Order: sequence, then structure tokens, then C-alpha cells
Amino acid sequence: MSFEPKPHSALLIVGHGSTENPDSSTPYFEHAEEIRNRALFAEVHCCFWKEEPSMREALYMIDSDEVYIVPDFISEGYFTQDVIPREFQLDGPTSSVMGKTLHYCLPVGVHRSMTGLILRRAREIAPDVSPAETTLIITGHGTGLNQNSTKAIRDQVDLIAASDAGFAHVTDAYMEEQPFIAEWDKLAPTQHVIVVPFFISDGLHSYQDIPVLLGIEPEVGAAASQREVFRHNPHHLRGKTLYYSSAIGTERHIADVILDQVRDFDRTHLSHVS
Amino acid sequence: MRIDPFLESLCNEGGFAIGEIIVSSLDVGSFELRHHLDEAVQPDDLEAYTNAADARSVSMYGESGEYRFAKAQTNLKRGWRLKLTDLTSLRQALDLFYPAGVALELARREGRLETQNLRDKLNRQTGMYRFARTISDEGAQKLVREICGPAHQCARKILWQLDQDTPLEDSEASRYDGIPCSTHKDRAIPLLCREACNHFVAETRKAAKAEFEKQQTADHSAG
Repeated sequence: MSFEPKPHSALLIVGHGSTENPDSSTPYFEHAEEIRNRALFAEVHCCFWKEEPSMREALYMIDSDEVYIVPDFISEGYFTQDVIPREFQLDGPTSSVMGKTLHYCLPVGVHRSMTGLILRRAREIAPDVSPAETTLIITGHGTGLNQNSTKAIRDQVDLIAASDAGFAHVTDAYMEEQPFIAEWDKLAPTQHVIVVPFFISDGLHSYQDIPVLLGIEPEVGAAASQREVFRHNPHHLRGKTLYYSSAIGTERHIADVILDQVRDFDRTHLSHVS
Repeated sequence: MRIDPFLESLCNEGGFAIGEIIVSSLDVGSFELRHHLDEAVQPDDLEAYTNAADARSVSMYGESGEYRFAKAQTNLKRGWRLKLTDLTSLRQALDLFYPAGVALELARREGRLETQNLRDKLNRQTGMYRFARTISDEGAQKLVREICGPAHQCARKILWQLDQDTPLEDSEASRYDGIPCSTHKDRAIPLLCREACNHFVAETRKAAKAEFEKQQTADHSAG
């Protein structure tokens, strides 16, 4: 679907970032570059919770009077509902801050178009495997603190299970709550298993922690960008054939999901504007 | 003033320094960035880059290979030059080397830069960082001396106080002008610290916990 250019508006992509892992912020810059190259906005910038520029600094970087803020986050939760509104001093979907009009869009991970990205990623890493003989596991962090953090994943599981993708079984699994990703072989009734991490970046969790939980790696390894040899699929583990994908957020088409969220914001909140 | 014309005016004045970088105007509308300590190095002896996005890879790791999560760290590696052919690319590259650096200085010059004192910053922390707000004034002043300033690889000029009535105690860190490039101080954009960074907050949390445990031990001994 085409996107109506906004030559007088800025796009501000908000990411988590990391003080330990340089790969954490790479996807955000790639998504920004992808959108910048399409010349759809007057400006495209990134800002972060753990890296620079901070959210409060970012507004100084923007010349445009109207700013669309899109959280490049995987779910609604603590960051999108508490931290980001607080840092930008938002008081609703549209706020006036530092003389600018800020439109706060929903996070990328909750958009319905994520379903297509997950299925595309699954096909890419296991092209010769029949879905009818395969379990698809969508995995995330999980925390007992916020139910919303797993809702985006559970929604995707329901959508894919109800679709014509044809997987024998589709389930969610988490690092820190049940069902545990460490028990992936018990969650999968089939020989073939595809695991797609529902994270934005190949940071600490998807590239270092989860491979250990899956049994691919004996211990937490170096950051993805510091590895000379990347993992190769499939992995023959625990009597099954396992295909492990990189984080869904590293998918180039996340840039389209960011634009989808801007378009949806306009439809929902600015529909009176012709 | 908008950022582009501000940047253009800086370039028209013969270039400028920001952080550890010097920006020189070449032909009309083209620019070269390099480490200020490489100013006299022959171009052929420097690795040449031509894309704004290269600024991210050049500045990601320090001379010793350490990850530079704080971009104002004074450990930018040497041995490169970045040639850019338009102002948009220059602005993008500078925001990768020193995020919002030019914009914050423009806002300061125009009197619209908002700063946040440490107590306000700590009081708005939630989650695991909430405990940081219990730090004593004495502990916070000590942290500034031990974390901030060029002696600890931070090139930012601190603009905040502990609170409205409590300035930072005089030290190398609190006096620092935000300009590590000493040969171009007259045409430099200082790096500004408008509020304590995440690293400072994380260290404050650790120090606050240590203070709490020390007090508990003292109370236990006294009891």
C-alpha cells in the first residue's frame, strides 16, 4: 500500500538501545535509513532509552513542527505506556511539546502486518520444510510484571494458527515465564521446529541468551557483530530438527510497519483532516 | 533558527570543531570530517569514507575496541576521514558522531535549552532505578567528580545542578567546557550535558545502595 508523503513532518523512531551491545540499536538505524531513502518525511531521526540521543534531546534535533513518534518496540507495555509518554511529556495521542505537535503512534509489534513478516521469516530460514510437519514457536522475553508484554505474541500465534499458513502447531514461548522456550522440544509435537524471536534486535536476548536456552550454544557468546561465524540452520538437537531465525525486528520490511503505524494513526486520530 | 542554516553558517566561517572532530569546508557544498589529532595527516594515510551512515561504524568502538555507548566519550578512534557532499549528509553524520550536539548548542545560544537538575532527574526514575533517588548530596557530588569530565573520558559540559539551590562543587568535571579539541576552542561547538545521563543514573543507583548498606551495618553495630 502506498504511503502519502509528509514533506513537512518528521518521523522519530524510538528504540530501547543498550549500553552493552552495539547490535541492539542497529535495526533502528536501518529502518530509519530505509524510510529516509524513500523521501517520505522532511526528516527521519532515531532516539533511545539507553543510548543517545535521549528522547528529550531528540526533539531539539527536529526542525519540523509536526512529529510522528513511532516506538520501534515489540509490544505495548512499560516502555510504550509509561516511559516514552513520560520522557516526551505526552498527554494524549497528540500533544503540544516545545512548540511542536507530537503524534504518538502504536508500537510496530502490535500491528497486524507483523503476521506476514513472521511467516516470511519462517519460510526464509526453512524453505524446504513442509509447514504441515512443522511447529512454529514465536518466542519473547515474558515477564510477570506486565501482561501486555506477551499479548502481542499471543495475538500473532492466534492469527497464524487461524490462517492458511498450514503449520501443524503454532505456540508462544518465553524466556522468563511459561511456556518456557528452554522446553521447546516438549512444546513441539513435530519433527521440525522453527523458532522466531519476537524482538526488535539481535541483542542480548535473541542472539546470546535464547541460543543457550535452546541448546544451540553451551554458554552466552559474543555479540552478533563480533562473531566471525554465524549460526547455520538446521540444528539437530534433542531428537528434532531446529531452525532458529534472527530477531523479527531485523526484517527490512519493519520499515513498512512503521509507516503502517503512521497511516493508522492518521486514520484513527486525524480522520477529520482531509 | 533552524538547524540547517546554523550548520551552514558554521561551515561558511571556515569549519568548526565538535567533540574530537574537526569539520572543514572543501569545495562549495562539500565537507570533510576527521579526528582533530589527524588534522595534519596526509589524506592518503587515512581510511576514506563517503557515506554519512559510516559515521556510526567509525564511532561504534574506541581505540581499544571498547563499545562507545556514550558518544561524548573521548576515545574516538583515529585514522579515518569522511567526505560528504551535502549539508543533509553532514547533519546526519554529526548526529551519529554526537547525537543532537549541534542542535543543543543552537538551542543554548537561542536561550531555549531546558536543563534538568539531578534531583528532578532521579525523582522521575521508575522501576529498578527508583532507588537512585536516595543518594545523599555528598554522594552525588562525589559521583560527579568520579564519573564526569575529561579525566573519565566524558567531553560534555555539565549544565545541571544537584537541585535549584545546590550547584555542583568546583572540580575539573564541573568546570569543564565541553571542548576536547584544544586547538580550535575559538570555533568549537561544545558538547552539552543538559541532564545526567543513563550511565550516571545507573552509577547513582549503585552508590545509593552502598550508602544504604553502610548505614544498615552502622545501625546494626550500634544496636
